[in-house]
Amino acid sequence: MRATGLRAMLGVQWRTHRRGTLVWMFALIASMVATAAAIAGLYTTPEKIHTYAQAVTSGDALVAINGRVEGIDSLGGVIQDEFGFLAAFLLPLLGISLVAQVTRREEEAGRLEAVLGGRVARHVPVLSGLILASAAIFVTAIAFALGLIASGVPATRSVLYAASLGALAFVFAGLAALLAQVTLHSRGVYVWSLLVLAVAYLLRGVGDVTKTWVTWLSPLGWAEKAAPFGAMRWWTLLIPLAVGGLLATLAVLVAGRRDLGSSLVRGGAGSARATTWLRSPFGLATAIHRPAILGWLAGALVIAGMMGALAQQFVDAFTGNPAMAEAIGLSGAQPEDGFVAVTQLYIAIIATGYTVQAVGSLRGEETAGRLEPRLSGTLSRMRWLAAHGLVIVTGLVVIVAVSSVVLAAGTAWSMGTAVQLGRVAGAGAAYLPAELVVGGLALALFGLRPRAFPAGWAAFAVVAFIAFLGPGLKLAGWVLDLSPTTHVGNPPLGTVEALPLVVLGAIAAALGVAAAVGFRRRGVPQG
Amino acid sequence: MSTTQPVIRAEGLTKTFGPVRALDGLDLEVAPGEVHGFLGPNGSGKSTTIRVVLGLIRASGGHVELFGGDPWRQAATLHERLAYVAGDVALWPGLTGGQCLDVLGATQGGLDEARRAALIERFDLDPTKRVRDYSKGNRQKVALIAALAANADLLVLDEPTSGLDPLMEQAFQEVVRERREEGCTLLLSSHILDEVEALADRVSIIRRGRTVTTGSLAELRRHTRTHVHAVTVEAPAGLADALGVADYVCERLDGHVDSRFTVGAEHLDAVVGRLHTARIHTLTVTPPSLDALFLRTYDGQAVPLDATELGEPEEAGR
Repeated sequence: MRATGLRAMLGVQWRTHRRGTLVWMFALIASMVATAAAIAGLYTTPEKIHTYAQAVTSGDALVAINGRVEGIDSLGGVIQDEFGFLAAFLLPLLGISLVAQVTRREEEAGRLEAVLGGRVARHVPVLSGLILASAAIFVTAIAFALGLIASGVPATRSVLYAASLGALAFVFAGLAALLAQVTLHSRGVYVWSLLVLAVAYLLRGVGDVTKTWVTWLSPLGWAEKAAPFGAMRWWTLLIPLAVGGLLATLAVLVAGRRDLGSSLVRGGAGSARATTWLRSPFGLATAIHRPAILGWLAGALVIAGMMGALAQQFVDAFTGNPAMAEAIGLSGAQPEDGFVAVTQLYIAIIATGYTVQAVGSLRGEETAGRLEPRLSGTLSRMRWLAAHGLVIVTGLVVIVAVSSVVLAAGTAWSMGTAVQLGRVAGAGAAYLPAELVVGGLALALFGLRPRAFPAGWAAFAVVAFIAFLGPGLKLAGWVLDLSPTTHVGNPPLGTVEALPLVVLGAIAAALGVAAAVGFRRRGVPQG
Repeated sequence: MSTTQPVIRAEGLTKTFGPVRALDGLDLEVAPGEVHGFLGPNGSGKSTTIRVVLGLIRASGGHVELFGGDPWRQAATLHERLAYVAGDVALWPGLTGGQCLDVLGATQGGLDEARRAALIERFDLDPTKRVRDYSKGNRQKVALIAALAANADLLVLDEPTSGLDPLMEQAFQEVVRERREEGCTLLLSSHILDEVEALADRVSIIRRGRTVTTGSLAELRRHTRTHVHAVTVEAPAGLADALGVADYVCERLDGHVDSRFTVGAEHLDAVVGRLHTARIHTLTVTPPSLDALFLRTYDGQAVPLDATELGEPEEAGR
């Protein structure tokens, strides 16, 4: 197959997607390097590193979440462990999103047709997307390595660690490229890749906890088994490179053979009539938000279920080693509460991400041109906004409530004792005002400055970074205070004060009012 | 509804988007029961005007009335009486075509069930297919059926036939005529002249956010010229200098005299008399089309219309 038009295609894809790509790379590099630098500043002596290593390896709970880090008794090992959870999701997501946005989404939008009508061979867009994604991953890995070396991690080990993460991203880029050929819509690419990622995460967790070969079944396991701060197995890099290369080759071959706009997986017919429910503003809003609600709920349930099932190991670790509590940002006498508090914070971040995405889909309705016909009927702007607001908040409450129940049930099963559901659910509910502040900010952007909506995701990134890594990195108080989750009071371990929650609720309400006023006054659509 | 009050009345509308002046003193009046063609090249402000009329965006200046009310303040109430097809039709990809029809219908305040069923048949639409699997033409059909089946006094259609095949265009024109006979008012924005000519009672032509001309087709035609192509046995006498004749070209072909020229409508009778005297062999008289009108309106401007596509003699009014 001659790659006719490859150079032109690379130019087009780079030009149309460079902004999103650079934002992704910058966010990843910044969070990684900031984590490395903060850890280097925190664990300044071998004793401190040793204490940390003792703490996190004293039970299976953290091993399941962050992975079994070989050579954890070193600065690099601490970094690999702290970054383990985030890296397991962010790097595959980097690969998936870079490829999905230049392949199936372009085809869906009909832009691929215009390109293939020119002097571009059928398989070239996928090939070019893979080349660009690989280049972005390569540059990100180099920046990782440099950041690690700058933080005082030995150079060879830094390079191996960065390479193992880059190879991980590459596997998922190849997977997404192949999925883009067999599913009809870019949503399918995301759904199936994320499903594979979830399975990979579970396999790695099971393998690490049981110390068996199961780890080797997971791309996340391959990265871990490179053991950059332990035995340094360079050859393990060959596995992800070979698998990713195989997936990528298959994708390019399939792309060269299949018809434009075709796929192996296709949706069937549906009902010819809309129900009364779907015709109502509330019903249509539910239909619009349901995929996001279910997706984020699934994510929250995986965390809640896994953590719940590991509750006993956690509690053992806490009681056995108080240093561990400190390592994950907790200290206190009630290990069970501490464990619930950590999990609820994770769930709160997932719920916050949901609110931003849900508000983002309002913006999506506008830019896709579906808001205009909606508002040219008898539906007033305020009723449209209110219906969506109600559905988004209901979805938020459902995510938090169901996750809390699953967490409580898992914990009760694992520990063999009765768990106070009210206490677990109350902790989840205490985060609602904080989640609504971020959602309210996103909504205010939608109402007042719709083109600046991506700032809502930036706010979420800051909140997530502070919540996940803030306590472990011992960030300054004012930095921690930037995130509304900090003000909730870490329930059920800490005490929840009414005043901060009321203030957070008031801020969320004020942002909501600002959004409504802005949305009422502005022109629709604003592209 | 009072018959004297216009359905849409806009006077001196202006709208600026930052430094861009999208509307610059635009006037538009649509009377009850008429099909009003709204013509202009791409980017001339047609969609912006429609959005102001619907209260989706607020005019920077000027006055606009919809059914005698203020569309910005009373949008939802006034919309009870109209249905709208946007220039870029976008539907919910996860719903089926039929579900979208019902959702759009509910948005507009109700569909006529019998008409809905009849139009699905007529436009040959499969309502059980998901929107994401539809072609552009099929998505357009969904939006059109939703509007045409609505219980509305006013239909606002922005470039309604883009993406439709000629057969469906035909069906569309038939349905529009039926709706007009039932007393419905239509505002039809387009840059396809044939379509407007086939349907419109009156037209407004706009350019760069300003109304250039408005009136009934008959009124507008009065200002344009009829094309005549005559083959006569003898050379017609004094035609070149006759009153109202222009662009006169005459040559001898195969023993006949071939004359082409344009003439003002009021002088047509006298000119045909002269041709008759010269013994007509064949005669083609092309009345002024909207195309000619359009080109005349943009006289001297770079018009984004291909003259060959108009099927008009080269000189159309220039």
